[in-house]
Amino acid sequence: MEQSNRYPPGDLAIWIFILAELAIFGIAFVAYAFARMYNVELFNEYQQHLDRRSALANTLVLITSSYFVVRAVHAIREDNSRLCIRWLSAAMAMGALFLLIKGAEFAHHFALGINLSTNTFYMFYLFLAIFHFMHVIMAMIILAAIALKARRGGYSARDHRGVETGASYWHMVDLVWLILFPLVYVMH
Amino acid sequence: MANGNKKHNGELRTCTWVWLIMILLTLVTYFSNTLGVSNLAISLGVLLLALIKGHLVGAYFMELRYVRGFWRWPITLWLLLPGTLISIAFYLTSG
Repeated sequence: MEQSNRYPPGDLAIWIFILAELAIFGIAFVAYAFARMYNVELFNEYQQHLDRRSALANTLVLITSSYFVVRAVHAIREDNSRLCIRWLSAAMAMGALFLLIKGAEFAHHFALGINLSTNTFYMFYLFLAIFHFMHVIMAMIILAAIALKARRGGYSARDHRGVETGASYWHMVDLVWLILFPLVYVMH
Repeated sequence: MANGNKKHNGELRTCTWVWLIMILLTLVTYFSNTLGVSNLAISLGVLLLALIKGHLVGAYFMELRYVRGFWRWPITLWLLLPGTLISIAFYLTSG
């Protein structure tokens, strides 16, 4: 990575997409905080029903997956496609673990009959969590496509913009969860 | 070439430290909640830790610290704007 670039790594189009996604999540986070102002007791009560240990595990999983993606980018910059694929696979495994843990949490809620119309807290929680869940799936598909192309020798130290593009999207998904976790699970 | 490898290894080592720091900050966030204290200062402290982690992801993992001009700032702004509004909302409900 050279010093003082004019543009961030990866395709500029993905960055415009990332900013649009972040704007949506940002608005939802602020809406959550202000909706809570009018329902403090309800939010505090139902927040206690969430599984914080699962959320902690998922936070550690996503942070680690992001680090693995960083390693994948560094590997391809050293022209090591095989190592890049290994790190991408490790990141996808972490993504799958995130989906498994979060899926179990959703299954628990749905088994109790909880849905978007249960109350204002669950409306925000389920919307944010499911919307983020879908982004993790999308990011995993992108990483899988990059890993497949890398396997066919599609990237090198000279040409690896695709890897950087997918990496930037993955980090965005991690970034959103880093705010979602304390806001919904911890702050009261 | 040797200088390039040295720089590359240095960047990787920095990212490893950033990862470990974020793990540590996450554990601090989690255990702050087990204190069982409902306190504005703790909530805002937890939010601040999240914003610091977000900055680390943007600067080191997304490599925005190497970018100059417009594209260096959107992630920072994204963290600061909702962060400030969320802080205000929690402050107003703290009584």
